[in-house]
Amino acid sequence: MNKPELVKLIDTTLCTACRGCQVACKQWNEMPGLRTKQTGTYQNPPDLQWNTWTLIRFQEHVDKATGKFQWIFRKDGCMHCTDAACVKVCPSGALYHTEMKTVGIHREKCIGCKECVAACPFHVPRYDAKTDKVYKCDLCYNPISQSHPPACVKSCITKALTIGPKDEMIKKAYARVKKLGGDANVYGDKFVDGTHVIYILQFKPEVYDELPVNPTVPASVTIWKDLFKPLSLLAGGGVMGGAFLHYMIHGPKVPHEGTGVEEKKGEE
Amino acid sequence: MKKGYVQVTDSYERIVHWMVALSCLLLCVTGLGMMFQTFNFIGAFFGGLKNLKLVHNFTGLFFAISLGLVIRMWWKEAGVFVFPEDLEWIKAAGGYLWHVDKVPETGKYNPGQKAFFLVVAGGGILMILTGLVMWFPMSLPVGLVQWMYPLHALGFVAIFAFFFIHLYLGTIGNPGSVDAMITGWMDKKVLTMLHPKWVKEMEHEGKLVAWGKEKKNNAHGHSA
Repeated sequence: MNKPELVKLIDTTLCTACRGCQVACKQWNEMPGLRTKQTGTYQNPPDLQWNTWTLIRFQEHVDKATGKFQWIFRKDGCMHCTDAACVKVCPSGALYHTEMKTVGIHREKCIGCKECVAACPFHVPRYDAKTDKVYKCDLCYNPISQSHPPACVKSCITKALTIGPKDEMIKKAYARVKKLGGDANVYGDKFVDGTHVIYILQFKPEVYDELPVNPTVPASVTIWKDLFKPLSLLAGGGVMGGAFLHYMIHGPKVPHEGTGVEEKKGEE
Repeated sequence: MKKGYVQVTDSYERIVHWMVALSCLLLCVTGLGMMFQTFNFIGAFFGGLKNLKLVHNFTGLFFAISLGLVIRMWWKEAGVFVFPEDLEWIKAAGGYLWHVDKVPETGKYNPGQKAFFLVVAGGGILMILTGLVMWFPMSLPVGLVQWMYPLHALGFVAIFAFFFIHLYLGTIGNPGSVDAMITGWMDKKVLTMLHPKWVKEMEHEGKLVAWGKEKKNNAHGHSA
C-alpha cells in the first residue's frame, strides 16, 4: 500500500500555548514528567529533553517599530528532514526514513553513540544516560502509518496543528501566509531538501528563539560521510590491489647471489 | 633454530608490537562495524552493536597504552629522518618500484618504515584524542564535537591504507622479514639485503647476536 508523503503544518499564528500537544505527546508516548525549577518564565520544561519530545517555546516579543508587546508561541520538536543529518550519521540504522518520509527511530537499535545529537541542525535528539539511548519525536509512527493523526495534532484545539499529504499542506501554508501578509513566511520547505514539519511564521525566522535561519546538514557530516567514508574503502582496496600487482610485476625482495649481500663473513 | 640467523628484536619489542598490532586490528574491525551499516553484522560476534561499541572504546584505551610504549620505544630509531641518506633512499623508492642496482643504505629503519611509524604514531594520537571526545561528547561544545568524527574517519583512511602496505611488505613482499615479529630471529642474508648499514653498525659495535652464539644479555636495550 502506498502511503502519502506527510507534512505536519504548525501555524504559529493560531497557537494559544495551551500546551495540550505537550501533554498529549507525553501521554501517548508514555514519557514521564521530570521535576523542573521555576526560573521566572512561563517556559516549562525549559528545553527539549529525552522525555519531552515537543514543547511550546514562550518568547516575549516587542515590535521595534510600534513598541507593541506580543507573545510568540512556537511548538518545537523534530522537523523530520528529507536530507536528515541524524539518519546520515546513525551507525546502527536506529534512525531511519519511514514510508511516509518522516524520520522514525528504532530505539532497540540505538547504541547511545550520540552522533545524531551533534549532527542535528535543530538540536532535537536528546540523550538519556540512564537507558544509554537517544530519544526524539517520531511523528507518532504507529498512528500515522494507520492514517490517524499524531497525538499532538489530535489534541490541538485551535487547528494550529494539522497533518496531510505534502503538496496539499505546502499549498495550504502558502495560501495562509498570503492571507496573513507582512513578514509572514513558510519555514521548512526550502532547506535540507524540505522538512516534514513546516511552520507558518508570523515574523522572519531570525526573530524566533532557538530557530536556525538557514539549517543545513553540517559540513563536518558531509565530509565525514560522503568523502572520508568511501575514501577509506577506496584507499584500502587500492593498496591491496597495488600490493597484488607489485607482487606479480615487481616481485618480492629476495637476496641474490653476488649482489654484495654477503660481504663480511666474520660472525658465521 | 637455524644457522645463519641473527637476532633482530627482543621479546619486549615483539610483545609491544603485538599489543599495538592486535588492538589496532580489533579497533579497525569493530570500527568498520559502526562506520558502515553494511558491516553492522560484525556486532553479532560481540553480542550486539552496543557491546561492539564498548569493545571498541575499551580496546581504544588499551591501544593508547600500547601506542605510548611503541612511541617511547621506537621514536628515536624510526621517528626521525636522517639526511641525506634517507632522501637518497626515497629517490630510489627503496628499490621497491623500479629496478635499482644498489639501494641506498639507510639506518636500522628505512624511510618507508619511518613514514609508517609516523603515520601510526600521529594518526594513533589523533584517533585517541578524537575518540575520547566521541566517547564523551556531551560536555564539549557541539561545534567542536562535530569535527571529531571526520577527523576520526580521516585517521582511519590513513591507518587502514598504510596497514595493508605494512602487512604486504612485512610478509610476502619481503620474505623472511615476518620472523622479526614472531621469533625475533632473521636470516642474516635477508637482513643484510634490507638493512645493510644496520648490520654493519651492529657488527662494528659487537652487538650482532648470531644463532647459537647468544650472550646472556642481549644488547638491544629495550627492556628498560
